[in-house]
Amino acid sequence: MSELNSVVHEDFGPNFRVLKRNDQTCELQTIIRDRNTSRNDFKFYADRLIRLVIEESLNQLPYTPCTVVTPIGFPYDGLQFEKGNCGVSIVRSGEAMEQGLRDCCRSMRIGKILIDSDHDTHEAKVVYAKFPEDIAQRKVLLMYPIMSTGNTVVKAVSVLKDHSVLEENIVLANLFCTPPATQTIVTAFPQMKILTSEIHPVAPNHFGQKYFGTD
Amino acid sequence: MAGRFYDPPSSASSESDGGDEWPFSDSGMDSNITESDTPRNEGEAPLSPQFPPRPPSAGSQPKSPRSRRQRTLSQSAAAKAAVTTTNQDFILRTKEQKTFYTAGRPPWYNFSGQHVEPFVIGICGGSASGKTTVTNKIIESLGHPWVTLLSMDSFYKVLTEKQHHQAAKNEYNFDHPDAFDFELLRKTLQRLKHFKSVEVPIYNFITHSRETKTKTMYGANVIIFEGILTFYNQEICSLLDMKVFVDTDSDIRLARRLRRDISQRGRELEGVLKQYSSFVKPSFEHYIAPLMAHADIIVPRGGDNEVAISLIVQHVQTQLQLRGFKLRPILATAQVDQPLPNSLHILPLTPQVRGLHTFIRNRETPRDEFIFYSRRLIRLTIEFALSLLPFKDTVVETPQGVSYQGKRIATDKIVGVSVLRAGETMEQALSEVCKDIRIGKILIQNNIETGEPELYYLRLPRDIKDYLVILMDATVATGAAAMMAIRVLLDHDVPEENILVASLLMAASGVHSIAYAFPRVRIVSSAVDPEINEKFFVKPGIGNFGDRYFGTEPPNEV
Repeated sequence: MSELNSVVHEDFGPNFRVLKRNDQTCELQTIIRDRNTSRNDFKFYADRLIRLVIEESLNQLPYTPCTVVTPIGFPYDGLQFEKGNCGVSIVRSGEAMEQGLRDCCRSMRIGKILIDSDHDTHEAKVVYAKFPEDIAQRKVLLMYPIMSTGNTVVKAVSVLKDHSVLEENIVLANLFCTPPATQTIVTAFPQMKILTSEIHPVAPNHFGQKYFGTD
Repeated sequence: MAGRFYDPPSSASSESDGGDEWPFSDSGMDSNITESDTPRNEGEAPLSPQFPPRPPSAGSQPKSPRSRRQRTLSQSAAAKAAVTTTNQDFILRTKEQKTFYTAGRPPWYNFSGQHVEPFVIGICGGSASGKTTVTNKIIESLGHPWVTLLSMDSFYKVLTEKQHHQAAKNEYNFDHPDAFDFELLRKTLQRLKHFKSVEVPIYNFITHSRETKTKTMYGANVIIFEGILTFYNQEICSLLDMKVFVDTDSDIRLARRLRRDISQRGRELEGVLKQYSSFVKPSFEHYIAPLMAHADIIVPRGGDNEVAISLIVQHVQTQLQLRGFKLRPILATAQVDQPLPNSLHILPLTPQVRGLHTFIRNRETPRDEFIFYSRRLIRLTIEFALSLLPFKDTVVETPQGVSYQGKRIATDKIVGVSVLRAGETMEQALSEVCKDIRIGKILIQNNIETGEPELYYLRLPRDIKDYLVILMDATVATGAAAMMAIRVLLDHDVPEENILVASLLMAASGVHSIAYAFPRVRIVSSAVDPEINEKFFVKPGIGNFGDRYFGTEPPNEV
């Protein structure tokens, strides 16, 4: 039982990365998972974890080296981020991550996809999608916090691909995922880059409800 | 008389309520003075050295606390021949029209962060012998920016009701050694000598008891301890580096005392004389005059004795030089080639972190972008710093019905302390990640002439010793300011291992200086640059972070 309920440290290939674990990130995950956490605290600590995941996922976006001059007249060898990125959130829980992205990239364009599961067949289907016009030329930061089965994300990525977005141009930013969901995603989209904060057999499925206060 | 800036000691706001601390005198115990034409601390009302409220010549019963305080002050001002303190503007003016303003506190420790013993001058002498005048003249001629003044008057014992009534009838002997709490005095002086902060009682001469509030004082490079029986207690006497006895003819002392008590305190001739003949004079002969044997220097004629005073000042200055308080150049060159210490934790250099550094280091970056990207970098640095704090394992129940093995922070007693001004830029990020965190502030400025850091202001949460302290300073070059801030925390009894310094950019030399002096202080930075330039800026650096963030760069650098 305890093995079933502990964090999974499995290698899912070079495009799949887990946020570097430390006591601090572990505490954030603990608070998010704790059923006794108040909604106020839940949102506060979820936002902190989201910010860390977004910051880390931005590292997957392209950049070029550049040298600048500091105020006291010395060169600094730094780097410059390239333009042509956009964010896409999967409604509703993915929208919780939009603010984190806004806090890092003030004017980034953000598209949305709404995916609902069919009442009878439980099949995921796209209800609504709105993207920047030139999304095909952009790198896309896809935001979705919880993956239990991975079906929703599979659907969302296929929508992006329908809009001619290249698979290798997609970065998925995720907070919690299960081993089966991970397997599903990396198998379906081996070129897509994926960042999560934790792989665990049990996903905190209450995330969206609690974050938006609809539980 | 009590101008609007004057806060009577009995209700002075800077005292120990709320655990706030002012290192400088605003009602009068410790003075730190420097010579200058303009106030250094802009935006603050200049605070001036004041001198301890005088004890009563015992027994006079004023009508109200306020009137007592007013009289105390006017008497104290009148007693100064060369120096007058104007309470209205908190400026000390000398007869040569020199003006002294409050300045910051220079380093009181050496480059390894250890305390250098302060120089303690004991000044003893009979009532109205001119101790205050001598003290003022020493401070004035010393020109030393940080002097703490401790007066025996703060250490009168609390009187019983019976004694209180005796005092009202001029029948209580305030000049006898039994009137003083020597035990508390010894402890206080010892702590001051070890640069610890102390709570000095505020004695209320109307109720003959101690106020509930106390006055916070700090050790300094020079401590002057004055009173009628400063050499009486052997242990206290051994703490004094220099013992000065002010010897003024008893006729002159009586004449001064009569004038002071009658014309300034509105007392009756009879009462003053009764008190003098029954207590003041016998006490002087029995207890005070014999103390002259302990003195290193006897100053006849008190404050008028310029030769004696200049001898004292010369000796003190030589002693201070020998102790060596100049830090910066030593710090800048120390241990440059050593490997970086283990106590240093650098934020992992991801492309984002490098990109953020590129923005904020670039001199062409407009200020709104500079602020935006600084804040992102600060947030990452603070999150990283928090990950180094102690955590404990915990198991929580999840809504999914399974338990989850996680971690929680081991203590919620965390405070942030920012080193003004640049450190303040990090406060917001800390508040964003730690709910309801309490934030203290320390203002340290560099003295433009000496290049040394000086402590101007500090406000720390009460009981800071029980907290983990995240000390925030945006840039650390030589480490001089950070070391001063750490030293302040240690002087408030915060254990060294409970301090974490968080910074955006440090120079290697600064890291070495801090780590050498305080090996158990953890150091967190988003980057460490190899060098600093001759102006002690980090190279290649970030410029003056505070100026760029707050938009106060000098015009030619914009």
